[in-house]
Amino acid sequence: MSNENNIIEIQSLKKSYDKGKIKALNGMDLEIKKGEFVSIMGPSGSGKSTLLNMIGALDRADEGTIKVANIDLVKTKDLSKFRSQEIGFVFQMHNLIPNLSVRENVEIPMYETKLSSKEMQERALELLKAVDLADKVDQNPTKLSGGERQRVAIARALVNHPSIILADEPTGALDSKTGDIILKLLKDLHIKEHVTLLMVTHEPYVANMADKIFNVLDGKIIEEKHGEQELEQVSAN
Amino acid sequence: MSFLSLMVKNPFRNRTRAALAIVGIAIGIATIVALGMVTGGLQSATTSTLKAGAAEIAVTQTGANAFESGGGTLNDTLATDLQNITGVKDTAGILRANANITGASTFGGGLSVNGMDSSKLSLEGIDSINGTIYSNGSANQLILGTTAAQSLNKTVGSTINLFGTDFTVTGIYQTGNFITDSGAFMSLNTLQNLTSNSGKVSVIAVKVTDNANVTDVSQAIQNAYPNQLTATTAADQANRINQGLGFINTASTAISLLAIIIGGIGIINVMIMSVFERTREIGVLKAVGWKSRRILTMILGESIILTLTAAVVGIIMGVVGVEVLLAVTGAGFKPELTLNILLRALGIAFLVGIIGGLYPAYRASRLAPTEALRYE
Repeated sequence: MSNENNIIEIQSLKKSYDKGKIKALNGMDLEIKKGEFVSIMGPSGSGKSTLLNMIGALDRADEGTIKVANIDLVKTKDLSKFRSQEIGFVFQMHNLIPNLSVRENVEIPMYETKLSSKEMQERALELLKAVDLADKVDQNPTKLSGGERQRVAIARALVNHPSIILADEPTGALDSKTGDIILKLLKDLHIKEHVTLLMVTHEPYVANMADKIFNVLDGKIIEEKHGEQELEQVSAN
Repeated sequence: MSFLSLMVKNPFRNRTRAALAIVGIAIGIATIVALGMVTGGLQSATTSTLKAGAAEIAVTQTGANAFESGGGTLNDTLATDLQNITGVKDTAGILRANANITGASTFGGGLSVNGMDSSKLSLEGIDSINGTIYSNGSANQLILGTTAAQSLNKTVGSTINLFGTDFTVTGIYQTGNFITDSGAFMSLNTLQNLTSNSGKVSVIAVKVTDNANVTDVSQAIQNAYPNQLTATTAADQANRINQGLGFINTASTAISLLAIIIGGIGIINVMIMSVFERTREIGVLKAVGWKSRRILTMILGESIILTLTAAVVGIIMGVVGVEVLLAVTGAGFKPELTLNILLRALGIAFLVGIIGGLYPAYRASRLAPTEALRYE
């Protein structure tokens, strides 16, 4: 049922690969409210990354309905504008462009906006300050640590004021201490920027940071529960 | 950073590969520029035969070539006879002979020596001389063209041995015509005596009056001496040479086509490799909202930037190469770099960039974001 508080509404969503042999999503239903921090958990191959790709409009569903930020992703033809305006991606491997500086990497999503080069530069600097990288704006990302690179990726994800941040195993390639710093940053920024945060993880202690946790298995949500721990508790473990 | 700056930055990530691609295309462009400059220079040199003051008509024995140094075929008295034809202002009999001499940079491997009345040198386009003109009847004086003087390393006052006789170079002349400037002029009587052509000339240069039509005068000469004399206008001569230069233009066109094909294949290869290596990055660009059209523009732009850089390198290589080569060989004409050549080089480079970049750009723009992001 449509609810104006929901930013994501998914009904009976199906997606299969390899001519139907692999059913990644098998009639999934999901509702996420605006401003929530949600974790999607599940084992490898359960369909959690496919779900993230569907919400981020990187792939199209075979069946079912999916509405994100009031946009029907099944009916909308050009999804690039939706991705540019509504979605910010944070990948496990940060995926920064090696020949560009930190600032230039953060500017990349703004090429599809009508901002001038100067405005793009100012917005990138603003975000880099927010992730505590103001002193490394002109550095090459290959010279940064894993945590710093992920912070650049977070700044890049937020630069276009998206409605939703989609984070796919954002701490998966980091040590636990750096991972905690990144988690805290993501959580702080999601509150500060009023952004819905959807995070895919297979680590229960990371998932527990969220307001809500959805467990996925065989392309369906099998369980919904609330997060139990604060980040400080995790850090103390 | 502007989108253009991003496109300029990207092709040079792999500097070795970019440099090799640029050199490959630059060689093709350099060849096109070099051939264009040589052809243009030669055409200008032939056109300069039409310069004001010089004779407009060359009269030869029917069947002989006005440019050949074929010895005497005409009686020198004909030069005086031709002055009676309406429209003829002045005439000069010229005996042409070829002297074997080491180091001569002339057509046929020797030095083209012309015997002519020194008071009528202007009919051959010789208006000013560095030094002095030879005196008529002098047995051991001559003047040299700048190209001949340069290749033989002679200056005013130098001695040169021709037909077994030592001559003093009294002056150096420059007409701008590479054929004339590669030769020498001396007294007509002296050359006639040295080559056993007494009373004979090879060609008669005819200057027409100011209000006369060159073609009409030319025809009048032939009508006056049917089957005996052939009158060729300077414009006809220039056209004949230019027709001869046509093969260089054909070669230039063929090389242009080859450069487009080979350069295009090279750029396709470079850009496909680049897209292949940046698959994941292209996935990220799509994920952050870039439209397929922007990705296509970026890859195509990178390809064009590579080829335009190659064009600039190629133009420099071509210009420097031709200048150095002609300076070393002492060719008697000046190569010409025209706007047309530059536009042609840039146009070809642009075309190669489009042809080479189109398929890789299309492929990149069609990449599915999820597959691109999964690419290892």
